[in-house]
Amino acid sequence: MTTEELEQLLAQQPIALLHRLARGRVQRHFRAGKRRLIEVLLRHSAENRAGFESDLMTLIGEKHARPAPPPPQAPAIRKQKSSAPQRRTTHRPVEPESHEPAITLSSWLEGLGIPPSKAFVPDAWQEEAIAKLREGDVVVSVPTGSGKTYVAVEAARRAIAENRTVIYTSPLKALSNTKYTEFSKIFGAEQVGILTGDRRDNGQAPLLIMTTEILRNLLYDAGGGEIDVRLDTLGLVILDESQYIADPERGVVWEETIIFCPSQARMLLLSASIGNPHDIAEWITSIRPTPCHLVRHSTRTVPLRAGYLHPNGKLTPLFRTVGIPHGHPSYLHPEAKRLFLQYEDETLPSHSRR
Amino acid sequence: MPPSIHPVDLILALRDKHLTPAIVFLTSRRACDEAMQAFDHSRILLPPPRQQAIADVLDKVIAQYPSIAEHPLIPTVQRIGVAAHHAGHLPSWKIAVEELMRHGCLDAVFATTTLAAGVDFPARTVIITQSSIRKSRDFMDLTIGEVQQIAGRAGRRGKDLVGFAIVTPSPYIDLNVLTKGFTGHPEAINSQFLISYPMVLNLLKAHPLDQIQPILAKSFAQFQLNQRAEVLERKLDDLRDQMEPFGPRVCTDWITEWQTFDQVRRQKSHRAPVRKHEPPEVAARFHFLTPGRVVGFGRSRGVVLRQYRSKGQKSPMITALRLGGGITESPASTVTEVSDRVLDCVDAPVYPWCTPESVEELLHHLEELPGRLPELPILIPKDDEPIPDAIVQTLGDFACPTCPSRSACQRDYPLAAKLRQEQHRHVKSIQALRTSLWHRFQEKIDVLQQFGYLTPTAHLTEDGEWARLIRIDHSLLITELLRADAFSGADPAMLAAVMSSIAHDDDRPGAFPRVSSGLASLLGQVRKLAASLSPHEDPPLLRADIAAVTERWIGDPGLTWIGLCKSTTMAEGDIYRLLARTLEFLSQLHTLKATHPGLTDTASRAIAALRRGVLEELP
Repeated sequence: MTTEELEQLLAQQPIALLHRLARGRVQRHFRAGKRRLIEVLLRHSAENRAGFESDLMTLIGEKHARPAPPPPQAPAIRKQKSSAPQRRTTHRPVEPESHEPAITLSSWLEGLGIPPSKAFVPDAWQEEAIAKLREGDVVVSVPTGSGKTYVAVEAARRAIAENRTVIYTSPLKALSNTKYTEFSKIFGAEQVGILTGDRRDNGQAPLLIMTTEILRNLLYDAGGGEIDVRLDTLGLVILDESQYIADPERGVVWEETIIFCPSQARMLLLSASIGNPHDIAEWITSIRPTPCHLVRHSTRTVPLRAGYLHPNGKLTPLFRTVGIPHGHPSYLHPEAKRLFLQYEDETLPSHSRR
Repeated sequence: MPPSIHPVDLILALRDKHLTPAIVFLTSRRACDEAMQAFDHSRILLPPPRQQAIADVLDKVIAQYPSIAEHPLIPTVQRIGVAAHHAGHLPSWKIAVEELMRHGCLDAVFATTTLAAGVDFPARTVIITQSSIRKSRDFMDLTIGEVQQIAGRAGRRGKDLVGFAIVTPSPYIDLNVLTKGFTGHPEAINSQFLISYPMVLNLLKAHPLDQIQPILAKSFAQFQLNQRAEVLERKLDDLRDQMEPFGPRVCTDWITEWQTFDQVRRQKSHRAPVRKHEPPEVAARFHFLTPGRVVGFGRSRGVVLRQYRSKGQKSPMITALRLGGGITESPASTVTEVSDRVLDCVDAPVYPWCTPESVEELLHHLEELPGRLPELPILIPKDDEPIPDAIVQTLGDFACPTCPSRSACQRDYPLAAKLRQEQHRHVKSIQALRTSLWHRFQEKIDVLQQFGYLTPTAHLTEDGEWARLIRIDHSLLITELLRADAFSGADPAMLAAVMSSIAHDDDRPGAFPRVSSGLASLLGQVRKLAASLSPHEDPPLLRADIAAVTERWIGDPGLTWIGLCKSTTMAEGDIYRLLARTLEFLSQLHTLKATHPGLTDTASRAIAALRRGVLEELP
C-alpha cells in the first residue's frame, strides 16, 4: 500500500475507528480532529508500517463483521483467528459463565432503603484495631466508607485521656479542614488544633491536624535539633489515606514520616483497600521497636451492587448475581451485555450519522 | 441515540428508582458545568419543603463563608437539588456542597473522577461514566483500586441498606476495565522514593554521612528492593546447583579458557573489532535486555525476543515484540525503560526467535501487565573501564588440544557459558537492587557539593544551613535565586508573583492580565537561571501570565475577588489554589528570618497583602 492509498483509506474510515487505531500510538488523540489525526497516524506509521496496516485491516474487518455475528458452524475460521495475535479490544478472557439464571431488576433493587436506626455498635475489626494499638503500631486496610474515622476518633480519645499528644495527618488541605470541623464537634473546639504552612490555630491542643508534609517538616526540625511541637509527649500519629505512600511525587513524604516518627509514639495507618498491606505492616515491624499489627477486612459494611444504565434510560443489573461476583469479571448480566454491545455498535461505526 | 445519557433524564431515572442521592463522576470540569447548565430550563423542581431545607443549610454555610453568597449555581441547586463539585470551585463552595450532601438535601452531585479521593462524602448511588482518567496530561485506564475507591462512595453507613454503583456509557468507555475493577483485587502498591535536595540537606544536618546508608535502608523502597533481591538470590542458588557439574576441571576456570581457545581457534581475533563509543547507560542496559525482559519504548511497551549486535557497526540491537503484535528490530538505545519483569519465552533459533505459541502467550501477558511496573535499577559505571591491550594468543598457548577433558569441555561449554552468564547478570542485579538508593543519594550529594551547600566531607556549609529550610518543589532554583540576590529590589508583589510562577505546574491556557515590565525582566532572569539548573532539577513552567494574576492581587489592595476573577479566564478554584500555594512558598521563605532579614520582611508583607477576602476564610 502506498502512502497515498493509506491516507485515502484512513480518510474513508469513521473518526471513532481512527481513535481506536490511535489508542496507544498517539498521545492525546482525543484532542485531534480527523485531518490532524490522519496526519499524525501517517507520521507514526512510518515506524512500523506493516503492523499499522494490519491493525487497520483488523479494525476495518471488525467493523464489517460485527453487525452480522459469525454463524456457529465456523470452527475453522475461529481457529485461524485465535492463532494470530489479536487486538486488545477484541480480547476477552474466556471463562465459563455461571449457569444460574440471571437475576431480575426488581430483585436487584430489592432491599433498597433506610435501615432502622439503632445504637452504633462498632465492628469487630474496629475493636481489634483499637485494642491492638495498645500493643504496637497498627495498619488498617479496609474498603472506602467502612468507618476508618471511628477507629481514628476512638484511638485519639484514649491517647488524650492518657495526656498524650495526638497528630492526625491527611494528604489534602481540604480533607484537613473537613476533619478539623468534624473533630472539633466531637472533642470540643479547645481540644483540637490545626497547623498549615503559614498558620497555626490552637497549636497547643492535644489533638493536632495537619498535612503529612507539615508533620515531616516538624520531624526534620526535631532531627536538626530544633524542637518545635512537643514531640516528647507525642503518643499517637494517625496517617489517614496512607495508600498515598505510592503517590509518584508525594509518596516519599509518607515514608520519611514513618521512618523518623519518634519511637515512643504509636502509629496508626489508615488506608483504602490495597493489594499488599502485609508488606507495609512487615516493613513497619522491621524498622520500629514494637511489632506492627495488620487489620484487614474486605467486605463492605454496606453491600454494593453494580448496575448498567443505558443512555435511553433503561436500567439493568450489570452482573448476573445480586452482589458483585468477586473474581468473575465475565459474569455479566445478559441484558447489560446486549445493551452495551448495541451501544458500541451505534457509537463506533456510526452508520446513523453518515 | 445520544452518545451518553442526558443529565435531566439521568436524574429522572434515579428519582424514579429511589436511587438518590447520587454522585455522578464525569470526565472533566466542563462536563460537570454543562450538566448543571442542562437544568437551567428544566421543570423537574423539588417540592417546596425540600427547597426550603436547602436554603436553610446554604444560609448557615454562607454565614460562615460569605464568598459564596452570590454563587451562580445557587438557584439551580435550590430548585432542582443538584450541584457540581470540582477543582474549579472555591473550597468554601465545596464545603457547602458537602454540607448539603451530609444533610441529605441533594439528589445528585456532578464531580470529576480526578478528585475521587478528595470527595469525602458518601451517597446511596455512584454513577460511573468512564473507564479512564486524566493523569499528567494523558488518559490512563482506571486501576482496580481506583474503581473501588470510586464505587466505595456508594452506600452510606447507617443510612442505606445497600449501595449502588451504576455504569452509564459514554464514548471510549471500556466496560472490561470497570467489570475487572469491581470484581478484582486491588493492586499492590509500590514505593516511590524520590530523593530531593532538601531531604539530603536535612538528613546530613541531623546525621553524619556514614549513618545515612542505614537510614535509607529503613525505607519502604529498600524493603521492596530487598524483596526483589531475595527472589533473585533464590534463583542464584538454583543456578549454583545447576552449575555443580561444571566445576573446576583440568584448569580451574575452564569455561573462560575454552572460550578464548574457541575464539582463537576460529581466528576471530584477526579482524579488529569495531569499537564504537557507546553511552555507558546503553552498555549497562544492554546486558539486561535478555529474551523475555519487558521493556518500555517511550509510551509503548514490548518484550525482548533476542539481543544481538548489528553486523556492520556492531551496535547493540534487540528484536522486540511490541504491544499490538508488531515485531521490530530496534537499537538498544531506543529502550527507555527496563522493567523488573521477565516473561517466560521459549527460544527458537530462527525468526521470530521464539515459538509461535509463545509469541501469542507473550502478547497476552504483555496486555495483562499493570500500567506501571517497577523499574530495574541498573548501576551505570562511572568511567569506562580501560580496555586491556589485546594479547595476541595463538593456538600454541593453549593446552586444550591435548587436554584429557577436551571432549567434556567441548560438550558442556554452551550450557555452562549460558548458566555462568545468567549468574553474572543476577549478581549484578542484586548488587544494583541493594545499593541503588544509596547511589541516588550520592548523586544528589555531588550536586550539592558542586553548588557549595555541602563541604567535601558532606557537612552543611553556611548556605546549606539555611537552604535546608526550603522544603518545597524546585528548592534548588529558589535557593540559587536567593544566593544570586535576585529579590533584593523586589517589592512584595514581585516576590509573590515569581513564587507563584514557580509553584504553578498546570499548562492550561487562557486569558490573563498583563504583566508589568519589572516583573517580566525579573522572570527573564529566573528563566535563565532555571535553564542553567535544568541538568540537576526540572525547571518549572514559570508562566508570566500566571505571575501577573498574583501580582495584581497583591499590588492592588482594593481589588475584590470578583474583580480578580473577571481579569482572567482561570477558574475560581484554580486561582484560589494558585494563591494558596504561593502563600505556602512565601511562608517557607519566612523561615529564613535569621539569614535573610530583608527578604523575610518582604515575604511577610506579601503574605499580609495576599491573605484577604476569600483567602482568609479557611485556615
